[in-house]
Amino acid sequence: MRRLITFCLTIATTLAFLHSAVAETDQEVAAREVALDLAGAFSNDGFKLRDGHWTGVLAPNESKVLAISLYAGNQYWFSAGATEKAKKVSVAVFDETGAPVETEKYDSGTKAAAGFSVSSSGQYLIRVRLEEGETAGVCFVYSYK
Amino acid sequence: MMIRNLGGFFLLVLLGATALAAPASSPAKGSSRLEPSQISDAIKTDAITIPTPGELFAALAKPGKPDWASRYRGPISINYKTRAQIALNLGGLIADGFIAVEAQDTQQVKNIGGDIMKMARALGVSEGILARGNSINEFAENDEWSTLQEELEATQNEVKSSMQTHRDQDLIILVSLGGWIRGTQVVSGVIDKNYDEKLGQILRQPELLRFIRAKIGTISPEMQADPLVKSVNTQLGGIEEIVAKPFGQGLTAAEVTKLSQRVNALMEEIQKKD
Repeated sequence: MRRLITFCLTIATTLAFLHSAVAETDQEVAAREVALDLAGAFSNDGFKLRDGHWTGVLAPNESKVLAISLYAGNQYWFSAGATEKAKKVSVAVFDETGAPVETEKYDSGTKAAAGFSVSSSGQYLIRVRLEEGETAGVCFVYSYK
Repeated sequence: MMIRNLGGFFLLVLLGATALAAPASSPAKGSSRLEPSQISDAIKTDAITIPTPGELFAALAKPGKPDWASRYRGPISINYKTRAQIALNLGGLIADGFIAVEAQDTQQVKNIGGDIMKMARALGVSEGILARGNSINEFAENDEWSTLQEELEATQNEVKSSMQTHRDQDLIILVSLGGWIRGTQVVSGVIDKNYDEKLGQILRQPELLRFIRAKIGTISPEMQADPLVKSVNTQLGGIEEIVAKPFGQGLTAAEVTKLSQRVNALMEEIQKKD
């Protein structure tokens, strides 16, 4: 009997985990669509979109920092998109030493972008933050020219 | 679709008002620095932390368009004895694809696209990659150069994704590394011939080298013991010393020459057929 209960609990936990995993994946896919929609506007201006991206789930006031290698002479736009539960996301750029970098900004609720021209090659750190709203799927992509 | 395009158009108009060419105006929120722990814990992945050869070539093309066709190399073998050597050369071939795109050379793109497919198959990459080969040919015939850059990266990512599925994770970093070495060979060669301080800035990438070497440190002991992988890793240590300039400082002319010589030797070893 105890084995049966343990077995049922294991199955239930597994199903719950799978459901949550699938739900997260759906959120991430939806967030990616939002981010790509935003990045598409930069493509119209000659920016090439990187195929690589980062997706995850952020809680309110939670942020993730992503390390990217950038080349002097290039211009970049970093775009983040979130699912509807988010009310506001933000994107901020920092240089290799952690100092904030001045950027052009685009902020519109579940979409945000930051862009700048690089004068020193190296690693840059992009902070994607869920400023307002509920826990949501967030996706980050970037474009260059 | 129409609505999305319109949305994109209006967004572009809005952004046009704050063109990138204008002085930047908005510092990161709060203007506070990142904590050292935030820097060390930053997410680093092959897909976003390692730039494509296309990004490197875009930077080089800013001061004046290089003669990209002069940077072609002769055909390389598509059959090597070890999977590690195939993976490194596959990355190099993809970088060659980016060079052909910069040169806007339809036939060269198609030739390289065909070689990429053959080499990917030699690694047992799924047949799904063949569709990418057809797209590359189609885009090349229609002179869709910008789309081709994205397609080449998508092809590379599909190869890596297939490697992941087939538990060949160790090869993924070698594909990226092969592309970085071939890209750096081309760019350092061009800068070596036409050095100026601004161009010397492009090649400074110590953190990228550290990340690549750290990734190599995580591959299986068997793969690390591969003589070519071992040799490449050792030589990368020397290359890291050359490009590890303080932030904001570019490579000198002498350092570019040294880097060019090192990557030339490294590329020769990678493409050498026993």
